[in-house]
Amino acid sequence: MVASRRTETRDTVTLALRPAAQPIGSHRPGQFTMLYAFGVGEVPISISGPPNGSELLQTIRAVGAVTEALCAAEPGRLIGVRGPFGTDWGVGLAASADRPASAGRPADGELTTPVMADPAGKDVLVVAGGIGLAPLRSALLTMLAARERYRRITVLVGSRSPQEIAFAGELSSWRALGAEVHVTVDRASAGWRGDVGVVTQLLDRVDIDPAATIALVCGPEVMMRLTARALAGRGIATADIRLSLERNMRCGIAECGHCQLGPLLLCRDGPVLDYERAGPLLAIREL
Amino acid sequence: MTGVLPAELGEHAFLRGLPAEYIARLAQVAAAVSVPAGHRFFEEGGRAVQIWLIRTGRVALDLHVRGREPLIVETVGGGQVVGLSWVCPPYEWQYGAQALAPTTAITLDTTAVLSYCDQDPVLGYQLIRRLMTVAADRLHASRIRLLDLYAAPSQQAGAT
Repeated sequence: MVASRRTETRDTVTLALRPAAQPIGSHRPGQFTMLYAFGVGEVPISISGPPNGSELLQTIRAVGAVTEALCAAEPGRLIGVRGPFGTDWGVGLAASADRPASAGRPADGELTTPVMADPAGKDVLVVAGGIGLAPLRSALLTMLAARERYRRITVLVGSRSPQEIAFAGELSSWRALGAEVHVTVDRASAGWRGDVGVVTQLLDRVDIDPAATIALVCGPEVMMRLTARALAGRGIATADIRLSLERNMRCGIAECGHCQLGPLLLCRDGPVLDYERAGPLLAIREL
Repeated sequence: MTGVLPAELGEHAFLRGLPAEYIARLAQVAAAVSVPAGHRFFEEGGRAVQIWLIRTGRVALDLHVRGREPLIVETVGGGQVVGLSWVCPPYEWQYGAQALAPTTAITLDTTAVLSYCDQDPVLGYQLIRRLMTVAADRLHASRIRLLDLYAAPSQQAGAT
């Protein structure tokens, strides 16, 4: 059931969902759920809040009939939820402890994604493009809640315009909690005093210790490809660059094959993959 | 404006790795500047005779569009450079430039720099490679922004 609804931008809202009957399963930052707008359809949506055991925060951009219906859902409205599904950013103590026993263990020829280690004691570089900040927010808030576990936490955000910056009202609180936050936009409107340019240009402003940095990247696929390439160029190992990929997730349980990316089924083997594994696949046009 | 020591000049990312003899020569025509937010470095159409190596702060490259607020086409920050139009004809600024925040920089007299490059093509080659890298990065970034990646699918060019 929709407990609350917050407008993020002109076309994006965050819904807080609480169980109407059965408890909602606990999630790990980076996972997604399948949300069902009854009578309209079902879509995969990133979880944008940290695990808290009581409610799911889901940030949705209205880009089609189903997402428009979900975005319009007012408090009290029932929404179908399946999941959470998929791999995660590997962030947080709870994430490590709560992993399913099968995670990362190939069985019966199935492909699975290696469990990603928590970047405790390392620098974390979060790079988001547009609504890609939603699944990263879940990881970021989890890390900021245990700030002492990590070294520098740097957040780079790219947006289409100042009006379309997701979670714009939270950026100052992230800074107050110990994150270094930079924002750049593609198109500046009058009065914007921040950066204008692509998000990879912000990398020039960041002092990167490549051997001790884990990068978490989410956004349009082209943006992720360019960002991952730039990060690798700065010396970060491809295995330490984590991307959240998207294909046409339908079943969420690796049965239907709609989300296939080469040998992977992203609803199970993704959405979070390291660039070492994802890079070669992203370079194949036919995929 | 105050003079700049070769060591200070050599620390800037744009010139890092340039042989010491060249750094020393460029330092002779370099000056340190510190400007407040709002300071305009140059205007579109003006004669381009300087380059600024930004140390701290943020500078907007803007374009005047009749009837609209100046349009910011790109911002440049610490470790980056402002002013490429002195390299090739018509030697006029293609954009305006304004400090968005208090900004410190090292500026070079590019009339003298071009003269040095004419006298010593190795220095010219070194500088052109660096300038080409800046220009290529900006061209690449501009092309990526043209893709309008963050638009909703229905808003993107070529959407069906």
